[in-house]
Amino acid sequence: MDKELLPISPKIDTGEAKIAGPRKALLKQGMCQIAFPEKYGGLGLPFSVYAMAVEMLGTAEASTCLSVEIHNAVAEGLNRFATEAQKTKYLPRLLTGDSLASFTLTEPASGSDSGTMATTAEKKGGEYTINGSKMFITNAGEADLYLVFAKTKNGPSCFMVESPNPGLSFGGDLKKLGMRGSRTSEVVFSDCRIPEGNLVGEEGKGADYAKEILHGARIIVAALNVGIAQIAYDKSLAYARQRRAFGKTISEFQLIREKIADMKTDISAGRMLYLYASKIKESGADYSSEASQAKIFSTEMSLRVCDSTIQIHGGDGYTTDELHRHWRDARLLTIGEGTSEVLRMLVARRELARSQ
Amino acid sequence: MKIAVCVKHVVDETELKVDPGGNPQLKGAATKMSAFDKNAVEEALRLKAARQGEVVIVTVGTPEAKKTMKEALAMGADRGVLVSADPMAMDARRTAELLAAALKKGGPYDMVLCSEGSSDMYSGLVPPMVGEILGLPYVGYARKIEVSGQAAKVERALEDSVELVEAPTPLVVSVVSEINEPRYPTLIQIMQAGKKPMEELSPDALIPDAPKSASLVRGMKAQAMARKRVVFEGPPEETAKKLVEALAAEGVLPR
Repeated sequence: MDKELLPISPKIDTGEAKIAGPRKALLKQGMCQIAFPEKYGGLGLPFSVYAMAVEMLGTAEASTCLSVEIHNAVAEGLNRFATEAQKTKYLPRLLTGDSLASFTLTEPASGSDSGTMATTAEKKGGEYTINGSKMFITNAGEADLYLVFAKTKNGPSCFMVESPNPGLSFGGDLKKLGMRGSRTSEVVFSDCRIPEGNLVGEEGKGADYAKEILHGARIIVAALNVGIAQIAYDKSLAYARQRRAFGKTISEFQLIREKIADMKTDISAGRMLYLYASKIKESGADYSSEASQAKIFSTEMSLRVCDSTIQIHGGDGYTTDELHRHWRDARLLTIGEGTSEVLRMLVARRELARSQ
Repeated sequence: MKIAVCVKHVVDETELKVDPGGNPQLKGAATKMSAFDKNAVEEALRLKAARQGEVVIVTVGTPEAKKTMKEALAMGADRGVLVSADPMAMDARRTAELLAAALKKGGPYDMVLCSEGSSDMYSGLVPPMVGEILGLPYVGYARKIEVSGQAAKVERALEDSVELVEAPTPLVVSVVSEINEPRYPTLIQIMQAGKKPMEELSPDALIPDAPKSASLVRGMKAQAMARKRVVFEGPPEETAKKLVEALAAEGVLPR
């Protein structure tokens, strides 16, 4: 991370460097082996260890972390819902990074409301034929395994589509405010035929699987945001200690000190929330509310911290890519993998149900 | 091929803080494997990969040195030997004697690899002393090692030249950082390192009734760098010129 990713992180933001090399190196090092069973090549460590590794990666380069996080979420979905034969076939190569995965749920007109998805999968003979398109898909065009959600006669279902496939094509890389290293584009299915054995779990249960996968991913997005906030805070602290105004460093001014205290407190709270949600997940209890709480808080917290970083740096903060990219990176994550608004709905619904 | 690598657990000089009195704050300082020791471990692993055999890590250190040992084992070494003693409380000769005794006990080795010097004290004395005590040839500052049969061809990186020497095995070689790029262990290797054998030896058992160190470091002071605090005032085109002239007068600019 320090050697291959951190030095090129400014160039990733400006498009002068690609994440493919460092991402491959991270996966080879075992980034996605942490919380998987040893029989598939994992390390069998607790989920919280993976979450902490994600926080560290988030400090180095957020878009690489996002790409890795999506990849890991697919592997986690397969570990939860795939057959033993599917797991034996796909998990080892995903965990070593020999394959890259993509989570393919969102559509142009359907986001968190996955029940309204328009993509269909029709079963005929020993095959499913998928038609439709997915939008804002991370790792699209780079991945060789796509976890696809499409409607069957029994409702939303989950499939594995391997690339290349004549029925699978991709849109151009979308221009984004931040997270510029990860590729995001449309994924189009035109009579995309896959063997019926590529159905994951049972037909009609795809929406439930997607929700389960996203609960875990939300903890990880929270950890990523703590990492983004941490690096922005570190830069702010270093600048406040050396920048002088009115004959003293700005770190001596009370209003800057207030910012430092608030930033640090915010980051610590975010860290506690993602670790708390991880612990509940590890215990096997329902953690959907805590995962959402961690994501709501940490994504919004990260924006506050990164905004303070720009404010503390003044003109430099507004004009320097290396300072405002943290805010631009963080800005995605109150939207992606469940907006703050939808997650508040989910927390309230869950807590009201718990209190009955 | 049986190779021993001597490593040292040291304070991280990049994180070291100095108090206003100029005293380095060693207590509670961050620690790590001595920088170039990783090159020595890497070279041993490469030699082993080409010729089969075993790589054994040997260190004199406090219990904290197990961290460095574990790191070397994670890189791919087979087992470790820790001589439980504080190298900061002894001179280079005593350290070399303990290492040599441990090497003798676990040997014979075909090659003993060290780095050119530890990143804390950097005396560079221990590797040749180990060679002397064991009665083995010593080749220092290696930037390339080739082993064929019972001999090693070594390129020595000297200040203004490269020297090619050939020496019979077994021998002691110290390496420079340009010899290779140390590998990063994977997470699986890091986890497996904890399960690899690590033997602990008592210095008294290795060398009974050993004489005390002939010299001891009583204290260390950071070198005080006085600043000249010259300020040039005026418009940039004039101050830039004055700055260049002043730097040239100091002899710090190339001609």
